[in-house]
Amino acid sequence: MISETNLNKKPNYLNPYFGGVLLGLTLLAVFFVAGRGLSASGVIKLAIVTITDFISPAYTESNNYMNKLVPDDGSTPMFSWLVFSAIGTFFGGLISGAVYGRLGKLRIEHSPKISSKTRLFAAGIGGILFGIGSQFGRGCSSGAALSGTAAFSFGGLMVLMLMFGTGYVVAYFFRKLWI
Amino acid sequence: MNRNYIYLSILILILSAGVFFLPERDNNQQISPEELMLQIMQPTHYISTDAVAEMIIEKDPTLELIDVRPIDEYNEFSLQNAYNLPLDSIMAEGYQDYLGIEDLNAVFYSNDDIKADQAWVIAKRLGYNSIYVMKGGLNCWIRTIIQPERPEETASSEDFELYNFRRGASQYFSGIEIEIASDDSKSGVNVVRKKKKVVAEGGC
Amino acid sequence: MGPLIPQGIITGQWDFVIALLIGFAFGFILEASGFSSSRNIAGVFYGYNFVVLRVFFTALIVAMVGLLYFDYFGWINLDLVYILPTYIHSMLLGGVLMGFGFVIGGFCPGTSFTAIAIGKLDGIVFILGFFVGIAIFSFGFPLYEDFFTAGDMGNITIGEILGLSNQIVTLGVVLVALVAFWGTWLIEKRVRKTINPFKF
Repeated sequence: MISETNLNKKPNYLNPYFGGVLLGLTLLAVFFVAGRGLSASGVIKLAIVTITDFISPAYTESNNYMNKLVPDDGSTPMFSWLVFSAIGTFFGGLISGAVYGRLGKLRIEHSPKISSKTRLFAAGIGGILFGIGSQFGRGCSSGAALSGTAAFSFGGLMVLMLMFGTGYVVAYFFRKLWI
Repeated sequence: MNRNYIYLSILILILSAGVFFLPERDNNQQISPEELMLQIMQPTHYISTDAVAEMIIEKDPTLELIDVRPIDEYNEFSLQNAYNLPLDSIMAEGYQDYLGIEDLNAVFYSNDDIKADQAWVIAKRLGYNSIYVMKGGLNCWIRTIIQPERPEETASSEDFELYNFRRGASQYFSGIEIEIASDDSKSGVNVVRKKKKVVAEGGC
Repeated sequence: MGPLIPQGIITGQWDFVIALLIGFAFGFILEASGFSSSRNIAGVFYGYNFVVLRVFFTALIVAMVGLLYFDYFGWINLDLVYILPTYIHSMLLGGVLMGFGFVIGGFCPGTSFTAIAIGKLDGIVFILGFFVGIAIFSFGFPLYEDFFTAGDMGNITIGEILGLSNQIVTLGVVLVALVAFWGTWLIEKRVRKTINPFKF
């Protein structure tokens, strides 16, 4: 089921459709077990709340966005489904990287036309935009676009179409980053 | 092109179109008659007037009182912070919002047990859980909480304890002598309504 | 029967073990499909690599069709499945911002975890940026609190908006996905002169 490696040093990836079926079944499993979709990055949100709550509980209480995420019984927000699944995601990637021989020392992957610095800068900016966007969108590509749409949510489909739509519209202006 | 892709495309098309041709299936999520029978027979869905009074006084946030009597009777007299859900409108749009709220225990009451029991059975059939009936209804409430009877002198000490509690509760509810609840003026059960579907908003 | 946790069939700490396992599967599949490389991901916007589109849409249609059958056989109660609520205004903004973030950053959060796992520095920077982004949002929340909750449509489904059943919506998505699969295959054949089709 693994695509054949060729002499151009093409990495050893799963057939994308096979990977897609596996991902779909995983999604189905999480719906069956938890009644909600996959989520990658709620953990970051919870981390921010936890840190803020540690420094200034009064502030988290006054912030209407954060106070919903702090449990009333005084336990830590980090003891949550989102956190454990994110830890799992990390180790899943780690094992897959080990199995397919992609583990390596710290490295930066970028288009030959840009420097490593440019790539890191772009990654940071992209991360910030994605971070803000994911909160307005009630979830990222896995939480809103994939899981949301799979559960027939209208908002999920909207985020999915807007995300890819915007991507295609603005792709031209950022082509130097990639090709 | 690999022929497998064509087969796969056809497979997913057949699967997704196939749902239209499936025979009707009675996907009854309701409780089965046997199970319902069993639950009706069990006295655990009853909750005593004393327990309700205690929860009201302690401002238990999980308590949700539901008055199933007609609205005019409800307006005349009802327990603190009770919602009115007349038995005949239990099926009506919007009324079921009171039921099935996470972390809330709905307690039905009427003048006696009968209507509350009926509401309980209907709600159970509709698939709601965490629902209870206040045993004896308001008649029992008046008899035990508002006008408690002094037990015989020979009664056990538990009976006297209960009596003392009821007397305190009576004062609390009728407001004759305020000694238990100092903030009596705005004593209310802090019922958080509409807490439906708070699944710690998913996603990122 | 399902979903298990909302119905209290699985309780206690077991749900965290399951979360760990499901997260593991998620990460493994993402990495194994090539999502740990930002150039693979961004390729979808430039026509040289459609792996994102293929994995994403395949997963979507498998899950959607699967949910329909689970529902039909009574294995899952769709009423208990979390339907992402729709807030028109803020989701419009969020989608557009994520589109920009996607093209510029080349990752989405889930994929950047796997990128970090195999040692990509750009993945780490992306997550740091993501962290900063959410922090900016959280601390500035009072400024746009009203905007954030404006246009609340509740847990509305696609079918309810369009007046169609879930079955028709699923069929529509399947058709769109199939057209996209075959269409992108043709595009890819043209963009990459030397194409190595994936084989079974």
